[in-house]
Amino acid sequence: MAVPSELYCWEGDWGLPSVNTECLIVLAYAKFSGAPLKIHKIGNPWRSPTGSLPALKTSENSSLSRPSEIIIHLRKQKYNADFDLSAKEGADTLAFISLLEEKLMPALVYTLWIDPKNYVETRRWHAKHAPFPLNFFLPGRMQRQQLERLRLIRGDQELAAGEEVERELYRDALECMNLLSQRLGSNKFFFGDSPSSLDAFVFGYLVPILKMKLPNGKLQQHIKSLDNLSHYCSNILALYFPSDRREDSSHKVSSQPEGCDSDHEPRVTRPPFSRSPVTLLPRGRGGRGGALRIGRRIQLIFKAALLPLFQILKLTLPQKLLRMTG
Amino acid sequence: MTLMLSVPLTLSNFSCYSPVCIDSSHFIMSLAAEAFVSQIAEDQILLSDCASSLAVQAYLRMCNLPVQVSYRPNAEYMSPSGKVPFVHVGNQVVSELGPIVQFTKAKGHSLSDGLDDVQRAEMKAYMELVNNMLLTAELYIQWCDDNTAAEISRPRYSSPYSWPLNHILAYQKQWEVRRKMTAVGWAGKNLEQVYEDVSQCCQALSQRLGTQPYFFNKQPTELDALVFGHLFTILTTRLTSDELSEKVKSYSNLLAFCRRIEQSYFEDSQAGSSSRGYSKGPSLF
Repeated sequence: MAVPSELYCWEGDWGLPSVNTECLIVLAYAKFSGAPLKIHKIGNPWRSPTGSLPALKTSENSSLSRPSEIIIHLRKQKYNADFDLSAKEGADTLAFISLLEEKLMPALVYTLWIDPKNYVETRRWHAKHAPFPLNFFLPGRMQRQQLERLRLIRGDQELAAGEEVERELYRDALECMNLLSQRLGSNKFFFGDSPSSLDAFVFGYLVPILKMKLPNGKLQQHIKSLDNLSHYCSNILALYFPSDRREDSSHKVSSQPEGCDSDHEPRVTRPPFSRSPVTLLPRGRGGRGGALRIGRRIQLIFKAALLPLFQILKLTLPQKLLRMTG
Repeated sequence: MTLMLSVPLTLSNFSCYSPVCIDSSHFIMSLAAEAFVSQIAEDQILLSDCASSLAVQAYLRMCNLPVQVSYRPNAEYMSPSGKVPFVHVGNQVVSELGPIVQFTKAKGHSLSDGLDDVQRAEMKAYMELVNNMLLTAELYIQWCDDNTAAEISRPRYSSPYSWPLNHILAYQKQWEVRRKMTAVGWAGKNLEQVYEDVSQCCQALSQRLGTQPYFFNKQPTELDALVFGHLFTILTTRLTSDELSEKVKSYSNLLAFCRRIEQSYFEDSQAGSSSRGYSKGPSLF
């Protein structure tokens, strides 16, 4: 192995190594298989080599975006977490991944991006973590993409937030969680004592539901009532991502006062790559401080002027859209 | 009562444009309605719809319910979810296998009562595997492979309509499926990769089935019906290339599985009226 591959993924929060399911899957698989990856946690998908997150930049300079492709790539490099599985267990892996994608993924998309109360939170998080001026439109753009995706998957062009859709999606999701809980039973992992790629997928889908603090927490309530699944997730977090848990506690203390006040946003918007290597830092230090201050002042002026306008638009637009489609 | 399943069907097959066919010899006490499986007309139906319809038929037969298949050119527009097949029982209309299974369960017919919790979880997972990979692959081949779309899918799909509606509807459908492929992340795949996925899925099913007669021992479940519906349709449908069916044919236990279900649930009633809707080309023998 020459240079380790570089993985770009969403930043973490709420004690999670990343807030995004697909990023979590890849991160967990890399930990399970022991693959050495150089990890860049960023809040701006435009920084990634593929324009979306997660993205793996391989040593051959190609880049991959889908978790399954990334896992296959790692497997080819002999980082295989499924080495000990029997053929039947391999088949079960495929089946349960399909179950997650068909039953849980739509509900997860809905709860993060479509549910109006939760979307306020999701939007705030993404606006906070994206650099200016992307923070103004990136969250909205992502929401439109997710809504479109959900509509196509469900085959319903008129799909919008609403009780009936929510009930259908959550019914599938709750059933899926029950099935997973039954299949897991009292095991430590799905196939015995060591984690496999199925564990990475289940972890990636369930841990955001378990840990994210969102106003509408129906899914969260349900997963908390399934003791073995919530233990399973916390267990993987503690075993494989101990540093993110610590980060969470420090983060909470420092960011608590900012949480409610959007004017403080820039302080949390760390420059991308801040946690990653050297190259950017030394050269940038002196000049960047000044530039940053001016940049921030411009940003604040913009915000003071534009934010009320945006808020008005945000408030009126979706309702208009809803009325049109409904 | 009979269940009416609506699928697009051919004219030769039935008396099927009449809405209700009652066959008193198939009267079933517990289910107080006629079930009609509706599908699209036979010269119109495509691989994926055909597979889903056959799966529902197999399921109803496994439950020992009388089925009357009815082919309608507008079945898609009659279905509450826009997808075929749907069953029409009394004054209720239910579409797609999952809801139909729940519906029959509410009426006291279930194939999966004997399973324990883990088995039930596995059964549902494998059903999603079939939906996620086989069904998506069928849709991909039908609408995203330019050859198949031009030679088979568009002409068949649009056969009941006249110009210019035939072109509009067929392209609209194709456009819709292609966008769905983008949404599920299949847009970047080429045909080879899709065949590879089908192969992978069949391998998983084959591993799971092993040497058992059905996926969960001796009794068929809805999973068996679903797998049979898809594999049998793939095996007996002629497409522009044989590659898809060749992938399935390399798993001998799956072939034997399809034959077994065909024999036990379709062959014996061939002479009876309930087989009217069953005319999917050559059998496996």
